[in-house]
Amino acid sequence: MAITDRHPQRRTLRARALAAGAAITLLAPLAACGSDEGGVPVLNLYQFPVENMQNVIDTCNQEAAGRYKIVYQVLPRQADDQRVQMVRRLAAKDDSMDILGMDVTWTQEFASASWIKEWTGDDRAEIEKGTLPGPMASGEYNGKLYAAPNNTNVQLLWYRKDLVPTPPKTWAEMIQMSQQLKAEGKTYQVLTMGAQYEGLVVLFNSLVASSGGHVVSDDGKTAVMDQGSVEALNTLKTFATAGVTSPSFSNAIEDDVRLAFQTGGGAFQLNWPYVYASMQGDAPDLAKNVAWARYPGIDAGTPSVTTIGGSNLAVSAYSKHPDLAFEAAKCLRGPESQKYLAINAGQPPSIESVYDDPEMAKAYPMKDTLLEELKNAAPRPRTPAYQNLSTVVAAELSPPAGIDPSRTAESLKKSIQAAIDSKGVLP
Amino acid sequence: MAVATTSDKVKWGLLDAVVVVFALIPVLWIASLSFKTPATLTDGNFIPREWTFENYKLIFQTDQFVRALINSIGIALISTLIAVVLGTMAAYAISRLDFPGKQLLVGVSLLIAMFPQVSLVSPLFNIERNTGLFDTWAGLILPYITFALPLAIYTLSAFFKQIPWDLEKAAKMDGATQGEAFRKVIAPLAAPGVFTTAILVFIFCWNDFLFAISLTSTERSRTVPVALSFFTGASQFEDPTGAISAAAVVITIPIILFVLFFQKRIVAGLTSGAVKG
Amino acid sequence: MSVSSTTPATSAAADAEQQAIPKQRGRRKRVELSEGKRQERKLGWLLCAPAAIVMVAVTAYPILYSFWLSLQRYDLKFPDEREFVWFSNYVTVLTNNYWWTAFGVTMLITVVSVVVELVLGMGLAIIMHRTLVGRGLVRTSALIPYGIVTVVAAFSWRYAWTPGTGYLANLLAPDGAPLTERASALGIIILAEIWKTTPFMALLLMAGLALVPDDLLKAASMDGATWWQRFTKVMLPVMKPAILVALLFRTLDALRVFDNIYVLTNGANETSSVSMIAYNNLIKGLNLGIGSTMSVLIFLTVAIIAFVFVKLFGTAAPGSDEGKR
Repeated sequence: MAITDRHPQRRTLRARALAAGAAITLLAPLAACGSDEGGVPVLNLYQFPVENMQNVIDTCNQEAAGRYKIVYQVLPRQADDQRVQMVRRLAAKDDSMDILGMDVTWTQEFASASWIKEWTGDDRAEIEKGTLPGPMASGEYNGKLYAAPNNTNVQLLWYRKDLVPTPPKTWAEMIQMSQQLKAEGKTYQVLTMGAQYEGLVVLFNSLVASSGGHVVSDDGKTAVMDQGSVEALNTLKTFATAGVTSPSFSNAIEDDVRLAFQTGGGAFQLNWPYVYASMQGDAPDLAKNVAWARYPGIDAGTPSVTTIGGSNLAVSAYSKHPDLAFEAAKCLRGPESQKYLAINAGQPPSIESVYDDPEMAKAYPMKDTLLEELKNAAPRPRTPAYQNLSTVVAAELSPPAGIDPSRTAESLKKSIQAAIDSKGVLP
Repeated sequence: MAVATTSDKVKWGLLDAVVVVFALIPVLWIASLSFKTPATLTDGNFIPREWTFENYKLIFQTDQFVRALINSIGIALISTLIAVVLGTMAAYAISRLDFPGKQLLVGVSLLIAMFPQVSLVSPLFNIERNTGLFDTWAGLILPYITFALPLAIYTLSAFFKQIPWDLEKAAKMDGATQGEAFRKVIAPLAAPGVFTTAILVFIFCWNDFLFAISLTSTERSRTVPVALSFFTGASQFEDPTGAISAAAVVITIPIILFVLFFQKRIVAGLTSGAVKG
Repeated sequence: MSVSSTTPATSAAADAEQQAIPKQRGRRKRVELSEGKRQERKLGWLLCAPAAIVMVAVTAYPILYSFWLSLQRYDLKFPDEREFVWFSNYVTVLTNNYWWTAFGVTMLITVVSVVVELVLGMGLAIIMHRTLVGRGLVRTSALIPYGIVTVVAAFSWRYAWTPGTGYLANLLAPDGAPLTERASALGIIILAEIWKTTPFMALLLMAGLALVPDDLLKAASMDGATWWQRFTKVMLPVMKPAILVALLFRTLDALRVFDNIYVLTNGANETSSVSMIAYNNLIKGLNLGIGSTMSVLIFLTVAIIAFVFVKLFGTAAPGSDEGKR
């Protein structure tokens, strides 16, 4: 019995035609990503999500009066994810990025790889005028300016004034006060971030800077674990083993700490200023009993030096309209924008004059302490291989209770050198 | 046929309850997080002391999330359809026909499933930018089909293998063409495999984050897992846990519907009595 | 006889008949055989072509590029220092403690979670398949854990296990934080993995159960077989291919565990998996050479395990020829 066998092929052909047809209809609308529309150059701003950012952008677009149009291309909330997205495009020489919202720790890396353009001449002078020195340092590489400071951040000491009459000035004092409270059976914990991540490196960096130590040499090429850094390791270990930390200390990130303090879990909190606004909103009764002070130092006589956080704005090296991008960036991080975002998005400004504005007083009652710290703040170790360095330091210091100051210092020196030289394997 | 006694029903009912409890308690925890106010978020209570719908209202405030939902639904459905069709064809050939290169195809498809996707993303990004597929539905559908095909082929092969040859032969003896034999005899028996594969592929496409975040950049093709990563809290460090939980609950609903619809077709006894004597 | 329009299946039947034909018709038999065979081959290639083309077109370049990168010293931050170093990256990685610790952790998580999931999955499959009441409810709710976005589920576990903020932490150790100790953290990670992917196994096994012919089971029980005998002698053999698929793909995925660890501990206390350190080197460190090397090593490990599985299951693997004719 001869049976013709057309069906499988027909079915095959039909299925393939269907697939091809679907593919073609999907390929058809291939509009370019944010390309110039009707002659007005489009500047793509790639930045992490910020509340009310669109209002700032609209204002700057109005000021541009048709010379350019800024479009907000949102990146993921996590800093690591933002960097991945940006680096992937920069490595592919993507020309659709113009202005980049960068974490302060990326300047060295991006500048050394020639991914961002230098701010020169009048533009540079304009940025430098009025910007606090701490944030300025975070935008520089080899003495040149590569990123314009946008918002900045430093951690403060928040404490329960109903439990602690005068704030401690040093870590030793704070530990002792906490142990005292513990003995009296009151809320006593000192809450801060100690998980294996960037926050731990920030903590370590603040301790090193407060001890006058160094982690890398000034040119960023050699690992230097001097006396100051050993002292920092000592302080960190003492703190972790003094019985004053929360059980989750070695797994805590910013939000864990904020939430724990807000629900009455501790007497002291070392965290960024964003906790103030959220405390007012979520736990107003507790907020009445909370005051702030300068971050504790190591020495009674030397004021503390804290780590600078925040973000900068840079212009991509592959941008099609670099001149316009510089101009747009100047507007986006200008005093007006910084004031607006300070009040509406919780981002402390990097321009000093903004702090004096009367509207700032309500949202930032702690601004005097902030300014005090910002004038004497330290950047994280400046090397293009900072991400490597951060990964190995966080791994070596985790958990903080397991630190052995002299041994860890030796081990850190070796790992940091390997990280800077980009040799070996990251944990 | 034995009549189901009440005690049987009670026994199965209890087992069902155990399964449902273990499966759903963590899900209910996520749901409860979505109904909690920011102040009570971490009070450790399973049932919220203060209820709020604010989080749900928040995620639908802009059309960003809705757009992402549409993209996700479209991309996942199309990818699933194409992957199941292509996979069925290939699996049928692999399990019932003889041709050189069969083992090679099976091996290569497994190889593709095994290679860590994190290394493949950057080259794919470059390819898609160069071919203009970047930030389009097709730009996501093609990788999704590619990485779903190995599982589809293996699963469907397993099912085709179990269907007795005699059935096909018998159908043809009765005068059916190859195509009719396939449609009327084989396909219904392969249905459990096909619908199982469809469910698994759909869930894979729906929840993928790695490819979605790397191969999209605007809301034209951005899918839901990516949209979740864009939610803002009140400030840089504040995680919008409530909004994310609410969104997670919302995006699980299509999966529930999909599974509810397809699981009915995965039934037993289709082969019983099919092969006469 | 009209040879050109015979179908592969009828040519199979024809083959069987013709094998009985004496050898005098040898030459014609060979011609008919190859004609039918050729048809079969053509059909086989046609059916496989679309799938093969899509898979190869999308992944050929990226996979080969990864292999090629692993032979170079290439750090994106220092593009001028790029150079060809053959296998020294492999030596660096394979002699490094971080790699082997992560490897051990990955193996532990994989073995424990896959074994537990196989047992639980089989049980769940039987319940989903045979329950007399609420079948739709059980099947759907059992699949929801697999359908939830992994990162969100991981975050909910993190909250649940953090003392003070969640409901589970205080169950085990009133004072401690389970996520900060290595052993308990690994346990929590494994638990999160099991909860999430048991439905995957269960679904595949349930579909496999659907193929077991009811009459065989009834015949067996009428012959006096106990439930266990029916399970091992009737159900399991029929389910072998489905079990292979479930085990194989679940193991492949388990070896690449990332999301749960990333959210729960971020790799602290030496709980990193090989995927995490590959990610750290490739994406965070921008070290394309080392990162690609790790990817290739992960791939090779997975390939070896897959090979072992396929050999163990033998004829249950796709593409093998048992039971075809």
